[in-house]
Amino acid sequence: MSLFWSLWIMFLIVFNLGITLFLFLWAPRAKIPVQKDGTSGHVWAHGVLREGVRNLPRWWIVLSASMFIVGFIYLALFPGFGRAKGLLDWTSHNELAEHTAANNAKLGDEMTRFSLYPIEQLSQDKQALHLGEVLFRDNCAACHGRAGKGNQLVGAPDLTDNDWLYGGDGKAIFTSIHDGRAGVMPPWASLGEENVKNLAQYVLSLSGSPHNEQQAEAAKPLFATCAACHGPDGKGNQALGAPNLTDKIWLHGGNVADVEKSIHDGRQGQMPAWSPRLTDDQIRVLAAYVYHLSHQDHVD
Amino acid sequence: MSYKQFEAIEKHAGLLGILTAVMVSIGGLAEITPLFMEAHAVKAPATVKPYDPVRLAGRDIYVREGCYLCHSQMIRALRAETQRYGHYSIAEESVYDRPFQWGSKRTGPDLARVGGKYSDLWHELHMTNPRQVVPESNMPGYPWLTKTKLDAADIQARMRGLRKLGDPYTDADIASVPGAVKDKTEMQALIAYLQGLGIKNEPVAAGTGASAPASDGGEP
Repeated sequence: MSLFWSLWIMFLIVFNLGITLFLFLWAPRAKIPVQKDGTSGHVWAHGVLREGVRNLPRWWIVLSASMFIVGFIYLALFPGFGRAKGLLDWTSHNELAEHTAANNAKLGDEMTRFSLYPIEQLSQDKQALHLGEVLFRDNCAACHGRAGKGNQLVGAPDLTDNDWLYGGDGKAIFTSIHDGRAGVMPPWASLGEENVKNLAQYVLSLSGSPHNEQQAEAAKPLFATCAACHGPDGKGNQALGAPNLTDKIWLHGGNVADVEKSIHDGRQGQMPAWSPRLTDDQIRVLAAYVYHLSHQDHVD
Repeated sequence: MSYKQFEAIEKHAGLLGILTAVMVSIGGLAEITPLFMEAHAVKAPATVKPYDPVRLAGRDIYVREGCYLCHSQMIRALRAETQRYGHYSIAEESVYDRPFQWGSKRTGPDLARVGGKYSDLWHELHMTNPRQVVPESNMPGYPWLTKTKLDAADIQARMRGLRKLGDPYTDADIASVPGAVKDKTEMQALIAYLQGLGIKNEPVAAGTGASAPASDGGEP
């Protein structure tokens, strides 16, 4: 702040407090002429309302005087009087740094302990799970749901089952959260409408879902194209994030229309990278919580 | 000071009004004027660029639909906020926001650093009908955004207006608008705007010690 504006603020503060003090000291001394009926003689509404003359209540005077003094103390201690920093040298940023450091110190021992465990073991630690749950609700629940059940509309996998697109050990989960994942199913509209429909029936047949046997049989040779990612037996490939098609767990929906759409238009799955937002320690705790979600029977 | 002066103030409503206005405006003169007059000292850091045409259109849709009524874009320097949302907001990040979208009302979460937090598809599902992704949400849906295409001439006019106010748009930038917004819907523009909010602008030099997300649960 420039010197001019600093002086500007100081002047206004002195002016304001000065006028207040002046009125405070002088107004009670003004001699008000009192009429015989005990009023000031001021009337409103043709004499219906008349102004009485009373001294200010003592509590009001004491309260006002103390507020005045509090104002001075505040300006002395905290920033406010122009550029003056105040005796306490207080800033909101310093206060935040202190609060953050205090909180980190409080958690320090726990976090050190957590960092010694592998994620799989951390998933059985009640305190780690509590932290993980808070982080999960803040960051993950928007797509995976509060209970971690996933959302087929957005292509967010169910985290409570034990079917993993990119691997389900602690390290793989950590990587998925830390770096994010981009799942790409290319569109196969070029195969033609009929082939897409037949292929959808074949994909449904892999998991034993209701399907048309004839159509599925017709598409069998076409699956060679899909096998590049999903494997010849349709069991998927965790290195690519290609889902296993032989279980009844569906990432984008398992009815005929959903599967046809997946093949026809392709799918883009996007798990954002959380490394810009969360620390590695937080991600480990979160990974432990996610690991716990799919191994509920191991705990409690 | 005698009774006469007090009587004059009490008996003349006009004089009373003027003197009241003088006293009341002292606070504003002290708090608002210096910041207002020194606003030019706030310069954009190198990481903060003027909005590209699509994001600019998205920003204006954000304003038009009144998103600011429920979402703030200002992370305060409080631990609970920096843990949940990231580094506190600084004035430099908003130099190209006219008007700024800081806000003070949070029915929904703060959006100052929402960019990259969710996928584009999530945003589209969420804006079309928020209950599709967040069952307990009370945000209204904005399904009509997918139905309207962006108008290049309108965005060009906005960019020329902003250039008059000092935003560094070049003629080439303005000429690039029709190509950039071709066939883009309002939904896509709004998503582009939201995905650009925040995390990239995060101040690096500004006291990381004060703000580095604490390694704890982020519990408010």
